[in-house]
Amino acid sequence: MQKKTFRRGIHPLHRAHEGKMPTRNESIRDYVSDTVTISMAMNIGTPAKPCVKKGDQVLVGQVIGEAQGFMSVPVHASVSGEVTAVEQIASLGTGPMMAVTIKNDFSDTWVELNPLGSVEHVDPAKIIPAIQAAGITGMGGASFPTHVKLTFGQGKTCDTIIVNGAECETHLTADYRLMLENSVRIVDGLRAVMRATNVKTGIIAIEDNKMEAVAAMQKAVHGREGVRVQVLRTKYPQGGEKQLIEAITGRQVPSGGLPIDVHTVVLNVGTCAAIADAVIDGKPLISRVTTVTGAVRKPSNLRLRIGTITEDIIGECGGYAETPGKIFFGGAMTGICIPNDNMPIMKSTNGIVVFNERDSKSKNESPCIHCGRCVAACPIGLNPYQIKVAADKSDFESAAKLHVMDCILCGSCAYMCPSRRWLTPSFKYAKDHLAAEAKAKQAAAKGGENK
Amino acid sequence: MSLRISTAPHAHSPVTTQRLMLYVLIALLPAAAAGIYAFGFSALLTLCIACVSSVCAEFIWQKIAKQEVRVGDLSALVTGLILGLNLPATAPWWMVVIGSFFAIMIVKQLFGGLGDNFLNPALAARAVLLASWPVHMTNYVTPTFFQAGVDAVSTATPLATKGASLMELFLGQIPGTIGEVSKAAILVGFLFLLVTGTVNWRIPVIMVGSVFCFSWLLGGSVDGALMAILSGGVMFGAVFMATDYVTSPITPFAQVVYAFLAGLIVVVIRQFGSYPEGVTFGILLMNIVTPLLDRFLPRKIYGYQKEAKKA
Amino acid sequence: MSEKKSLGGVLLNGIVNENPTFRLVLGTCPTLAVTSSALNGLGMGAAATFVLVCSNVAISMLRKFIPDQVRIPAFIVVICTFVTMVQLLMQAFVPSLYESLGMFIPLIVVNCIILARAEAFASKNSPLPSAFDGLGMGLGFTLALTLMGSIRELIGNGSVFGVNILGASYQPMLLIVLASGGFLTFGLLLGTFNLIVKKIEKKKAAKEVQAA
Repeated sequence: MQKKTFRRGIHPLHRAHEGKMPTRNESIRDYVSDTVTISMAMNIGTPAKPCVKKGDQVLVGQVIGEAQGFMSVPVHASVSGEVTAVEQIASLGTGPMMAVTIKNDFSDTWVELNPLGSVEHVDPAKIIPAIQAAGITGMGGASFPTHVKLTFGQGKTCDTIIVNGAECETHLTADYRLMLENSVRIVDGLRAVMRATNVKTGIIAIEDNKMEAVAAMQKAVHGREGVRVQVLRTKYPQGGEKQLIEAITGRQVPSGGLPIDVHTVVLNVGTCAAIADAVIDGKPLISRVTTVTGAVRKPSNLRLRIGTITEDIIGECGGYAETPGKIFFGGAMTGICIPNDNMPIMKSTNGIVVFNERDSKSKNESPCIHCGRCVAACPIGLNPYQIKVAADKSDFESAAKLHVMDCILCGSCAYMCPSRRWLTPSFKYAKDHLAAEAKAKQAAAKGGENK
Repeated sequence: MSLRISTAPHAHSPVTTQRLMLYVLIALLPAAAAGIYAFGFSALLTLCIACVSSVCAEFIWQKIAKQEVRVGDLSALVTGLILGLNLPATAPWWMVVIGSFFAIMIVKQLFGGLGDNFLNPALAARAVLLASWPVHMTNYVTPTFFQAGVDAVSTATPLATKGASLMELFLGQIPGTIGEVSKAAILVGFLFLLVTGTVNWRIPVIMVGSVFCFSWLLGGSVDGALMAILSGGVMFGAVFMATDYVTSPITPFAQVVYAFLAGLIVVVIRQFGSYPEGVTFGILLMNIVTPLLDRFLPRKIYGYQKEAKKA
Repeated sequence: MSEKKSLGGVLLNGIVNENPTFRLVLGTCPTLAVTSSALNGLGMGAAATFVLVCSNVAISMLRKFIPDQVRIPAFIVVICTFVTMVQLLMQAFVPSLYESLGMFIPLIVVNCIILARAEAFASKNSPLPSAFDGLGMGLGFTLALTLMGSIRELIGNGSVFGVNILGASYQPMLLIVLASGGFLTFGLLLGTFNLIVKKIEKKKAAKEVQAA
C-alpha cells in the first residue's frame, strides 16, 4: 500500500521511538479513584454551569453541568457518590474555573441510559443530538465540541471523514492501545458519524510505526461500508489536523479556515470510540484512555474517569521513580505543564508525562546561527527565525506579515533548533497579542454599529 | 512539591550548535591532512597559528566587551581552520595572525558576533590579506610530500599557467593554498557533511555545476570546464565557505539562486577580471545579497495555494 | 543659543562635540579620498579651514543683504571665490601637494561642511563668532583628516608625514591605503570617537546627578 505524508516535518525522539517504548505493550487497565474533581470548562467555547450542590447524591452519567448554548457541552458525573464541593479551582492557563468534587461510593450505579441501538440502523437524525448530550469533545487535545464540528455551516459540504490515529506525539500510546483493543468501537463511531452527516468515505489514518494497529483496524473495517485504513509515513506533526488533511487528500485548509472548507472533518480515534458508546449504549463521556509515562515506576495505559487527580494516577502507576521536575499533560512536543499534582485530568488529557529534574532543566538560548533547521522543519512553510526576531521586539505587524497567525505551535522548529532558542513561546506571545487585537477591533466595530 | 513550568516543546534534538561546528571541523580534517601531506611542516604550522590566534581573538574580544565567553561553541575554531586552509603554506606567521584577528574581531564581532556577521569571516580576512600582501598570498610552492632533499619551489597555480593533468588536480599534486589542493579530500569532507545532515547538497553542487556550465559556455571545451572546477578554490569554497550557515540563504529556492550566481561571478572574474581566482569575491558578493534573497524570494506557505484540487 | 556661548566654546564645539567628520559625518568624500597620507590630510584640512573661515566671515557680513530666496547660490559664489584663491595659491607655492590632491581642491566648493556652516551659523551670527566657528570646524576637520591620514600612512606605508617609523623590515598593509581601507579606517575611527564621546557624556551626566 502506498504510504502518504505531508511536506517537511520532523522525527522527534525517533530512535526506536524512545518516548513511546515503555508503554507500547501496556494494555489498557481500568482505574477508579476515591474522589474526582470534574472541571466545568473542558471544551473550547462556553463552560458548562454546575447544576448540583454540595451534599447531593449523584449517579454515574448524571448531568452535573448544563451546556450553555450551542458552543458548549454538558458535563456528567464520572463516579457515583456524594458531591463534596462545588468551587473554583486553578486551570491550565485560562484562569480559575468551576469544578465539582465527588466522593466515590464505589457502587458504580448508573443513571437510566437511553441506548439508540446498532449504528447501522439508528435514525441518522438522532445521532448528532446524542453526541451533544453525551458531552463529547475532541479527545486528541484541542477539545472542540464534536457536535459543532459535525454541524456544517450553510453551503459547506463534506466528502471525507478522517479518523486521526496518527498519534505523532512523543511518549503517547493511548490511541495505539485503543486501536488494538477497541478497534470495532472506533469503526462503529466512524460509521455513526458517516450516517449522521451522509458522508460516503471514511478514512482511518495510522502511521507506519504502528503496523499492529493497522492490522487490527484493517480487520475491523472489513465488510464495513465506505471505510478504509490509510498508512502514513511516520513524521511529526502528522496528527495535526491541517497536516493530516494534506497527507490524506492533498488539499490544504485555507489560511484562517476550518477543515470543512476543504470538505473534510477530522476526528480522533478516542472521540470515535466515545461516539460509539454514546450511540450504541447511550453512555455519556465519563472516562478516557490516558498514557502515564516518564519518571514513574510503572508506566501504563489507564482508562481513567474524567476528573481523576494526577497524584492518585501516579500512585496507581507505582509512584514517582525519581524526583519529578516537570509534569505535563500531553506529549513532549505540545504538552502543557501542570503547576502541581493536584490537577484533575480532563476530557482531552491523552497523556501524563513526568520528567525527572535533569530533563526538566531549561536550556539557555544561544545566538541564532541561521542554520535553517527551523525552516526545513516547519510544516506550514514559515520562516521561524525571522518571526522570532519580530515577535521578540514586539513588532507584531511584521510578525503578522510573516504569517505568524498560520503557525500551529507544533514546536517542530524549537525542537530542531541547535541554539535552543525559545521559538514557540515567542510565537504564542505574538499570536495571543494579535488575536486579542483582532477581537478588540471586532468589538469596537460592533459597538460602532450599535450607536 | 515545586514543579517547573515551561512552554512546549519539552524535548530537544540532540544536535546543538557546538555539535554542528564539530561536524564541520571533522569534515575539514581530510583537506587539512592532505594539505599537510603535500606541503609539509610549514602547512601544519600555518594551520595551528590560524586556529590558536582565532580562538584567542574571540576570547580577548569577549573579555574586553564584557560578553559571555562563547569560545566553547567552536565557531572561532572553525573560522581559524578555514582561514588557515585558505592560505599558502608559505604564509608568514604575522600575516596569519592579522588575518585571524581581522576575521574574528572586525568581520564577526564588530557586527554583533556569531550569527550576525554579514560576511564569511575567513573569506573576508582572506580578501583583506590578498589585497594587502599579494606577494605573500600568492607565493605558492610545489608539493614536496615530505621527500628528503626536495626544496620547495615557488610557482604559480595551475589557474595562472594551465599546466597540470586532471588527475593531478584531483589528487592534489599541484601548488595552491593548503586546503584547496586535494579535491578528493574535500569530497570526503563533503560526504561527511551530507551524511551528518550538517549541510544540504544544494549550494555546493549547484555552485560547482554553475562554474562548470559557464566555463564550458565561455571556454568551449568540456576538458577546460573540468579543469575550471578542479583547479583553484572552487571545490573548497563551494563545500566549506559558500555553505557557511550565517552568510548563506536559508530557504531552498534562495539557496539555488545564491549558488548559481556565485558560480557565475567566479567564472566572470576568472575570465574577465584581473585576478586569476574569483572564488573569494564570488562568495563574498553573494554573502552580501543573502538577506535580500531570504526575505524577498517567494515561498509556498500552507493554506495559501490557489483553489485546492477537487478530489 | 550660540550668542550665549563664549568664543572658546564655539571653537571647541567644532573640534569635539560637533566634529564635522566624526560627529556630523559631513564631507566624507574628501575624507575617504585624500587621507592616504598624513600630509595630504593636513593639506586638505588646511585648505578647507582657510575657505571655511573666510567664507563664514564674508557671509556673516553679507547676511543682511542676501535675500533669503537666493541665499544658496549667493553662498556658493562666495565660497567659490575663496576656493579659487586657495587653488591658485597652492598651485603657486606647494605644487606637489596640489598635484596629489588634484580634483579635490576645486571640489571644496561643494564640501557640505562649508555650505552647512554658512547656512546654519554664519547667516545667523555676527562675523567674529562666525570666524571662530569656521576656525573650530576647520580645525576639527583638519585634525580628523590628519589623524586618519597618519594612521593609514603608518599602516599602509610604515611612515607618517613621509618619515619612516616602523623600519625597513615592516611589510606595509597595502589595503589600508586603497579605497576599501579608507572606508575601513573611517568606520573604525568613527566608532571609536563616538564611543569615547558617549563615555564622557555618561560620566558628565553621572556627575550632574551626583551634584543634584
